Amino acid sequence: MRLEKCYFCSSTVHPGHGIHFVRNDCKVFKFCRGKCHKAFKKRKNPRKSRWTKAYRKATGKDLAVDPSFEFEKKRNIPVKYSRELWNNTLVAMKRVEEIRLKRQGQHIINRLKEGKKLRKEADIREVDKHIHLIRAPGAKAPVFEKKMVEVIMADDDDEDMEGN
Amino acid sequence: MGCVGRKRNHKGNHPWAKKGKTKRRTKDLDQIHEDMKPGNAEQMLNQDVNYDKPGAAQHYCLHCTRYFISNVALKNHFRSKLHKKRLKELSIEPYTQAEAERAAGMGSYVAPKLLEVKTQPDKEDTIMKDG
Repeated sequence: MRLEKCYFCSSTVHPGHGIHFVRNDCKVFKFCRGKCHKAFKKRKNPRKSRWTKAYRKATGKDLAVDPSFEFEKKRNIPVKYSRELWNNTLVAMKRVEEIRLKRQGQHIINRLKEGKKLRKEADIREVDKHIHLIRAPGAKAPVFEKKMVEVIMADDDDEDMEGN
Repeated sequence: MGCVGRKRNHKGNHPWAKKGKTKRRTKDLDQIHEDMKPGNAEQMLNQDVNYDKPGAAQHYCLHCTRYFISNVALKNHFRSKLHKKRLKELSIEPYTQAEAERAAGMGSYVAPKLLEVKTQPDKEDTIMKDG
């Protein structure tokens, strides 16, 4: 079964689906569905359409550079059939997929952590800025006054003591 | 009886409807990048006289793939927003199927290279200089 990748959104094109467009210079473009074909006809840039894989990788939304991406590739090198190799490959594929998914998930979690931090900072800033809504600006003064009066009184007492 | 003769007068009758038609399809950006390569660029800029093309194909804008009727019109075009916008669009490596496959997880992401694209030198000026 030959599985192609869509030119626009990079999803897998299964047999019997999508369109192959051959331009008049013989270059072949594969599309997974009408949405992608239409976008191509409208000359949209896949790097700028937010719903494509190309956009998500170019802007750092998804994990883009990782050794786990180096396994699944079109290599164009003939390989002689061997049952052992075939079996090992199947095992390896599962394992690689597992690792890849884990790393991709971790990448998104790390990305979201940054937002959490920023949101907290913004909240603190907001509270500092609008503190007068929670506590009246003069609310602190009586407490201070009380303390100051106490201090002065204590000083006076000390002076009196010294005078005597 | 309804108005039989006046049905569907405005469907697809927009100025932008003609733009998407196949017969009006112009070159894609990656084709223009191909044209911009040193050998091809000279060929495109010095085309044979063709009376079917505007200005007999003598005043051609390489980046916008457009023929102009005179050198003045071509020069005016170079100053236009459309042309400058096109230069900006061309100043990055074209998108390819290989990039789509890399984005799909077949290989790591490789950032597209930035290119420096300049408006073609004016033909008459270069002739004057040579002469």
